Amino acid sequence: MTEVWALAALWLGLALVATLLSIWLGVATALSEIVVGTVAQLLIGAFVGSALLGTDEPWIRFLSGTGAIILTFLAGAELDPGVFRAKWKETTGIGLVAFFTPFVGCAAFAYYGLGWSPRASWLAGVALSTTSVAVVYAVMLELGLNSTAFGKAVLAACFVNDLGTVIALGLIFAPFTLKTVLFVGTSIVVLTALPWVTPRFFRRYGGRPSELEAKFLLLALFGMGALAAWADSEAVLPAYLIGMVLAGTVGKDHALVRRLRTVTFGLLTPFYFIRAGSFVSVPALIAAPASVLGLLIAKLVTKTLGVWPATRVFRYPRQEAAYTTLLMSTGLTFGSISALFGLTHDIIDQAQYSYLIAAVIGSAVVPTLVANAFFLPRYLLPKPVRASEAAPSSAAVEEAAR
Amino acid sequence: MIPARILIGHDGSKDADDAFETALELAALCRARLQVVSVATPPEPPTRVETEATLEAATQHYEEIFEGLKARAKERDVNLESRVLVGHAAEQILRLAADTGADLIVVGHRGRSAIQEWLFGSTSRRVVSYAPCSVLVVRRK
Repeated sequence: MTEVWALAALWLGLALVATLLSIWLGVATALSEIVVGTVAQLLIGAFVGSALLGTDEPWIRFLSGTGAIILTFLAGAELDPGVFRAKWKETTGIGLVAFFTPFVGCAAFAYYGLGWSPRASWLAGVALSTTSVAVVYAVMLELGLNSTAFGKAVLAACFVNDLGTVIALGLIFAPFTLKTVLFVGTSIVVLTALPWVTPRFFRRYGGRPSELEAKFLLLALFGMGALAAWADSEAVLPAYLIGMVLAGTVGKDHALVRRLRTVTFGLLTPFYFIRAGSFVSVPALIAAPASVLGLLIAKLVTKTLGVWPATRVFRYPRQEAAYTTLLMSTGLTFGSISALFGLTHDIIDQAQYSYLIAAVIGSAVVPTLVANAFFLPRYLLPKPVRASEAAPSSAAVEEAAR
Repeated sequence: MIPARILIGHDGSKDADDAFETALELAALCRARLQVVSVATPPEPPTRVETEATLEAATQHYEEIFEGLKARAKERDVNLESRVLVGHAAEQILRLAADTGADLIVVGHRGRSAIQEWLFGSTSRRVVSYAPCSVLVVRRK
């Protein structure tokens, strides 16, 4: 056990360094953890030996996988069902187009432009089809657009987009067998039953220090994750769907969500993102930066080709359409989950994984900067009412009428 | 011009605290209304789950700071309003100043992190550049 504790201390030390960096630099913890993982593997590999980090230790893989599962569940639980119901036609239309166009376009670029295998190309399409709900949400909050019909529609479209990504990840690379049928069938039953069972079960037995709610949710996530893995699918698929169907119940229980977040961010996701970063090959990135740039441009162009016309079909004014398009070209969390899935299932090699991770990180940053600099739909922003422009008082109106 | 409405940006730092003290004295002297605003900034780039968690934690943190500020304002008989906004600090302060018709914005010279200032620019400098009214930048004593 000595080696296990020592290795755990090393990983938590790296997690602590990543957290401090994220605080000092004001960047996302996920990003700093990926970078720390990359640098740690580079340095440790150079001076000590690449095996020291122990990325393939079963317990590290378990913690890392659990981190991805719970993170995905919490992401799905962020959905606001009311928002989705309000504008389901345009959100579904824009969301599906936002998924399919980069999925096909980036896969085509990887296949024809970079010479990747068909399976690797499809994986690239999945990884680059994502949209960051968080980026869109943060920008909408900042500008006060989250209360407008436009903001709500864009947010809901992002969930539809990511649903497409998760389903594609879970089903495309799994061979279609009886196991798949059983997995899909069981999922339908579980996803139908959970929204009915969960709140009643929690009301009856929850609200105690024994954390029954967390245990119940983990049972559902691990159980469906095991079924997904048995069917050669991916455990994050049922996790996202469970999060979405429970968004109206569990998602509204802020205390429970906060407790899950504590475990997730405090222990689990560092293992996931540091491990993801440790697989990035810096020499591969240095050797072929054009591949990264090409993948990033492919994502931005295909998103634009897909989302822009869709927004115009739904009669968005030009500036809103451009802003929506650029915001929906972002994506970090699901992109990195997809890329790591590809690497761990031997769909892509380490170099291809490195290009995808770098492109995914770039896609989280570049479009937001461009969108806010040039295409912000300012006329949607609340206009300040100055004293000189305020409506005249009734006395002033009467005076003018005389 | 004697300000009737003063807006102070507060990020929880020592500089911001000094700036608040200055704003409080001014508000007491001029019998002005004082509004303190703190801005919860999402991580860059914003990521799933962490964004919501960061904003919740920041809002709670600033609400606790506001309790102390309100107590100090009450001692000076100054009417203090408080708000927590989400986004980038300078932009939110400027927008609130325009929205509320502030006559004077008071900010600290330097915020919490010199590294962030170097990476993302100085909040006080941006406020001075784009403010719709006068700006007072308070240096640490």
